[in-house]
Amino acid sequence: MIPFKVKDVMVPLSEYATVSEGATLFEAVMALERAQEEFDHTKYRHRAILVLNNKQQVIGKISQVDTLRALESKDQNFEDVKQMGKFGFSSKFVRDLYKQRRMAGASLNDLCTSAARVKVEDCMQTFVEGEYIDQDAGLDTAIHHLVLENLFSLLVTDREKDIVGILRLSDVFAAVFHAMKACEIKLS
Amino acid sequence: MKSLENLLERIIQKVNINLRELNFDVTPLVKNLIPLKQMGKFYALCGVTPHHPLNFNFRRSSLAGSYFLGKCRTTNSLLYKTDIRGDELKKKGDIFKYKEMEIRVTENEGIDIRNSFLIKTLVHCYSHDPETLEKFFISNTVSTHYANIHGSPMDGCFLGPYATVDLTTTNDCVIGAYAYVQAGEIGHLEIETGTVWVRSPGLFNFLYRYPKSRLSDYIHFSAGASPKGMLIDSVDERKEDFQHVFNVVHLDHSVRIPGTTSVDRFAVIKPETHIGENVLVAQRAYLQNAYLGKGANAQENCYIINSRLEGFNVTAHGAKIIEAGLGLNVFVGFNSFLRGRPGAKLSIGKGCIIMPHTIIDIRSPLSIPEGYLVWGLVTNEAELETNSIPLAALSRITDSLIKGPMSFEGSGDAFVKAFQDRIHHILEANGAFFNGKNNRGHAQKNQHISFNAIQPYPDGDLEGLYPTISILP
Repeated sequence: MIPFKVKDVMVPLSEYATVSEGATLFEAVMALERAQEEFDHTKYRHRAILVLNNKQQVIGKISQVDTLRALESKDQNFEDVKQMGKFGFSSKFVRDLYKQRRMAGASLNDLCTSAARVKVEDCMQTFVEGEYIDQDAGLDTAIHHLVLENLFSLLVTDREKDIVGILRLSDVFAAVFHAMKACEIKLS
Repeated sequence: MKSLENLLERIIQKVNINLRELNFDVTPLVKNLIPLKQMGKFYALCGVTPHHPLNFNFRRSSLAGSYFLGKCRTTNSLLYKTDIRGDELKKKGDIFKYKEMEIRVTENEGIDIRNSFLIKTLVHCYSHDPETLEKFFISNTVSTHYANIHGSPMDGCFLGPYATVDLTTTNDCVIGAYAYVQAGEIGHLEIETGTVWVRSPGLFNFLYRYPKSRLSDYIHFSAGASPKGMLIDSVDERKEDFQHVFNVVHLDHSVRIPGTTSVDRFAVIKPETHIGENVLVAQRAYLQNAYLGKGANAQENCYIINSRLEGFNVTAHGAKIIEAGLGLNVFVGFNSFLRGRPGAKLSIGKGCIIMPHTIIDIRSPLSIPEGYLVWGLVTNEAELETNSIPLAALSRITDSLIKGPMSFEGSGDAFVKAFQDRIHHILEANGAFFNGKNNRGHAQKNQHISFNAIQPYPDGDLEGLYPTISILP
């Protein structure tokens, strides 16, 4: 039994990188940089940005993968390559084809420039039911959620169902790691 | 009419349940595609020959203008001007080879159509699924104009116009307009319009996707309207010739037909046409000023106009050849559309393979050298260069090949051999190699067919629906 509640381990919303709806991906990345500078450096660094609406409610999240995905060309040629997997082509073939199309397409600099102008709501992920957890839930419940849904973080809610923080896989792992160490020390 | 309306609702619901995972609703595509009043207007035909098991069973179905041959059963289904050609079904005692296994067929195979709506569709060949050797089933499926279901048992599918599913067991899939699939077994996939996909797992994989904006000139299909485009226009322009053929009781074709050749009673033959020995001309084929050399064939819905086929040519179901000259042993795949023009002849060299669903549409003369594989959309020399390869060069590919929008992975040699073996098998089955004694095929066996015409209720709640009918020896 790990003697923590979710609220003991979560990152409060106030410490998280956030941007408002309508911001660009570049502004989101800058917000992340600021949050990383201000955050306690002994902990794991922030890796995602939350998107807030005009009522300061969380409506989405931009992860590192979402940021990189925004760099992907929306050209039909690339969309076609993404579909190749369902036709049974090998991963190596798909990678080579992608590389070939990329060589013929825009440079990374061009892609970065155009991606920076993308609106955050066009590249953010929205949340589904299994991604929320109550702040008073036990950490064992949170672990079950993370493993079952294969998630990297959960949105923590208060009694009014407002989002008050983020429970990150890395923080849960650290808590479990410390609990294991404590058990081992007692046994020896 | 009420029963027909209920039947259509039931079929739509069955198909939608199967396609719910793909979030695909056939209702707007199918609802008014064929006015149900039409279903009562046409008789259906059952072919009787001494060469094919006679076993027809129709229950709670409408069969307007459809054609049946071999062992066929329909239940709770609507068939509109559809051909169910069971002349290649397996017979009791046949041995079916699957990988290392040899499986004995325990009873005559039958085509079993349930809860389905097939519009101007061709069903042919036999079940290639080792799990259902005796039953070639088509259930909970809607297929639209000029689709081909070829040796492909299927359940819960939608086929757009001119779609072909070939030798592939298909479950809960949407096959877009003018898409061709030959992949062994597929499930829960949406195949986009204009995709040409040929896969033999572990051996090769070929994929071509038409540029949609250009394909739509040839075929496009959207909710609330019939399919449109040049492919449809080319058929509609000649519709009246077929009406004549179906309206006349006794019809003699005006050309000389050799004794080893079969020209179906429901084909259109217009002057000046020459038909050689061992030729097969199937029902709903259209020949005008055409030369068909020895062992050539024209399958259902093929149009050969102002063209010369030197011999041993396969013109697969739905292919159109206009203003063209084809050398010996040229294969033209399903639903291909090859159109030269007066003064801009298309010439295809000996032994070429024109992939299924290829469009060659030219305004200047174009010659394809001997022994080439051609695919996709070709309107000029430059596009021919991108969308073709010598068969010998493809045979040397051992890893992968990317040419324009075409992707190939695997053994080119296996791909070429698979095609060539299949072409040889088709010619053999069609009787192209008949020597007066051996190698008898469809061209010889299908010469004498009697047709029984059956008709629906003419009025009332059951209008358009056929009574339960069993026809046995």
